[in-house]
Amino acid sequence: MENLENSIREVAEKLLSEKKVDLIIGYERGTLPLRTTPCFVDKVEDIQKLVWNASCDANLSKYVVGRKEKVGVVAKGCDARLIAVCVIEKQFPRENVVIIGVPCLGVIDRKKIEMELGDREVLEAIVEDEQIKVKGEGFDLVFPKNDFLCDSCLTCKHRNPPIYDVFVGEKVPEITEANEFAEVSSLESKSAEERWEHFKEELSKCIRCYACRNVCPLCYCKICFVDQTMPAWFGKTNDLADTMIYHIVRAFHVAGRCVDCGACSRACPMDINLRELMKKTEKIMKERYGYEAGVSLEKVPPLGEFKMDDPQEFIK
Amino acid sequence: MKWKVIEKSKLPALIAELASEYEIFAPVKEKSIVSFERLSSGNEAYLGFRNTKKPPKEVFFPQTEVLFTYRIGEKDVEIVESPAVKAKMMVLGVRPCDARSFVLLDKFFSFGEHKDLYYLEKRKNTTVVGLACNHPLSTCFCTSLEGGPFGKEGMDLLLQDINDKYLIETVTERGEELVKKFPWLKDAEKADVEKAKMLSEDAENAVKSKVSVKDVSEKLDRMFDDPLWDQIYQKCLGCGVCTFLCPACCCFDILDEETEERKRVRIWDSCQFSCFTLQGSGHNPRPSGKERMRQRIMHKFNYFVKNHGESFCVGCGRCVQECPVNLDIREVVGAISTRQVE
Amino acid sequence: MIKVKTAEKEWNPKILAFLCNWCSYAGADLAGISRMQYPPNIRVVRVPCSGRVNPYFIIKALQRGWDAVLVSGCHPGDCHYISGNLVARRRFAVLKDLLEYLGIEPGRVNFSWVSAAEGEKFANVVKDVVQKVKALGPTKRLVKGVVPYGKP
Repeated sequence: MENLENSIREVAEKLLSEKKVDLIIGYERGTLPLRTTPCFVDKVEDIQKLVWNASCDANLSKYVVGRKEKVGVVAKGCDARLIAVCVIEKQFPRENVVIIGVPCLGVIDRKKIEMELGDREVLEAIVEDEQIKVKGEGFDLVFPKNDFLCDSCLTCKHRNPPIYDVFVGEKVPEITEANEFAEVSSLESKSAEERWEHFKEELSKCIRCYACRNVCPLCYCKICFVDQTMPAWFGKTNDLADTMIYHIVRAFHVAGRCVDCGACSRACPMDINLRELMKKTEKIMKERYGYEAGVSLEKVPPLGEFKMDDPQEFIK
Repeated sequence: MKWKVIEKSKLPALIAELASEYEIFAPVKEKSIVSFERLSSGNEAYLGFRNTKKPPKEVFFPQTEVLFTYRIGEKDVEIVESPAVKAKMMVLGVRPCDARSFVLLDKFFSFGEHKDLYYLEKRKNTTVVGLACNHPLSTCFCTSLEGGPFGKEGMDLLLQDINDKYLIETVTERGEELVKKFPWLKDAEKADVEKAKMLSEDAENAVKSKVSVKDVSEKLDRMFDDPLWDQIYQKCLGCGVCTFLCPACCCFDILDEETEERKRVRIWDSCQFSCFTLQGSGHNPRPSGKERMRQRIMHKFNYFVKNHGESFCVGCGRCVQECPVNLDIREVVGAISTRQVE
Repeated sequence: MIKVKTAEKEWNPKILAFLCNWCSYAGADLAGISRMQYPPNIRVVRVPCSGRVNPYFIIKALQRGWDAVLVSGCHPGDCHYISGNLVARRRFAVLKDLLEYLGIEPGRVNFSWVSAAEGEKFANVVKDVVQKVKALGPTKRLVKGVVPYGKP
């Protein structure tokens, strides 16, 4: 990990000093244990701020859309795929971004650690040798890192960014033996009634803060559908119908573009498992149209094209 | 000031007795989240939390509130019904920072000619029972904002955890009246009061995070066009987590809903949303995150100070804990206080 | 305010049907002219093409209390605008899968290809949809106002 951190700094410094980019977007140390925060470096002197560790969970591709300058982005597999999706959707020119691809073995899910600790607060944390060591008032524990990774990382098929300009470090082995749709399949096997009750319970916690939408790099609309007036399609109240519809429509809007980076679930302050819903859209796209988002700069997302022989078993 | 004690084991019984007269809102634990809920037969109060996820402001200022229902007739509009406010409400288990937020919200909602009766009626009818903090979090900075872990502002009674008992300290007349209804509560012994005092001092010392708010307010007057804002806002996503979880934030929007009955509804809004200041003409005076972040900081630490004499923040630290990108308001205030400004 | 009580009526499904102007609407018209009998539970909205149907319409309809939605267009290859129905087909596939995954009962959201000559088919499609929806009961799941406003 330390080698990767130094390599990232070297690459970033080179890009900045050679003026190949005007800005580097990476991660720097956060103000709390087990946290990093996005960092915007435009001066070579600030390069030392950049870090790389298992807490680099923010999705930096969010900060690329809308920029006019050339940027270099530190990108994990999921981040690089999302940049690719934004490029395909013509949100910014490919030549304006330098993807600094970094192999990722998974990011730590702070929520899993919080669940484990209950009301105890982590005051210090060190992650090394596949272990997470946490200390706080009256406790000093060690957790195996792999038990506390984000769910999206456990089934990640692209730990090495499939698209990049510079690759930092060595490629890591990909996970082959994981069923990424296990959670979705298990829900599919339940009855409609059971699924409805499940989603109703989960989504009734929603406080409509839109953290899920704002953290998602694919939600770049100037005016989101939920903010539209004249006509106002859907309400912004806490009524369960309004909340469920917000999530359904957002899932529909990211269908075929979502790569399951997990940022939405991580951002949710009410611990709603949004991945259960978003992952289904990925499954639909894979099964119906054989499409995987963000692995190729040529293929158009499924809802942006059509074929004569598309499946239509659902049409009378 | 009367001090009483109650054994922790007897508290559920006390709450049950109170529930027959009051509508009680208390922290309830649901999986990993503790938030204020209306107590009913299906749930029970949980007081072992550090701080609740959502602040108790929603007891007086619900996220979705029907202001009135109306019907449009041939020639006029008929207001069909107005919601009734419960006569006796209680909110139990409020941390001193959150109770202090009620004082700030009172100033906001009663400012000027038009008082917000929806908020004020509920507030008038509610008894606030606070719960002192023995173990502040590392992100708490209440002591930098005129508060403290054993603070008593905004509450009628303060419960203090002294191991197997709670010390009950009456703060207001309303609190005293309430305690009189329970003559079986024992008087506190000197040792109990001293124990609480000791715990209070320990807790104050445990608030390690200090934010230099005092110098910032005046300085902000001269910083409106400072280039510092260009840097601060960059990582902000523009979501509403900090505003919705802030005990003091209370911006709202009003909509008319077209269900079977027409309703006028008030919902929470956030100054961080991109459409917050979008005008009917299409012009937006706060077009980017920079203006919105600047506005948030200035409202909390400058405008509110000028209008009401104190900062619009209680130092609860929820925004620090929950921000998806770890944008730390303590860092922002620190950067401002050390900034060289003419 | 005077309230007049009427007899309790038996619930009958109300189905919103989006019919494309060139094929399905004409097909429905043919069914009418040919005096084919089919249940009167549909309310028709004529659209230029099935591709005009925004998924928002379908979701909004369910929110407003419509018991089911039917969208009908030209057969693939016959679209008056060449590919409108092909664009729509993918959209509807994803929407239907997503809604059913969430727990909206299968049978609330329906799609069909009905050409201008298929009056009988149209009548059969409507009969089929109405029969299924009658078994499902009135729509409840996405209807607004079911959960009281405001928590706590």
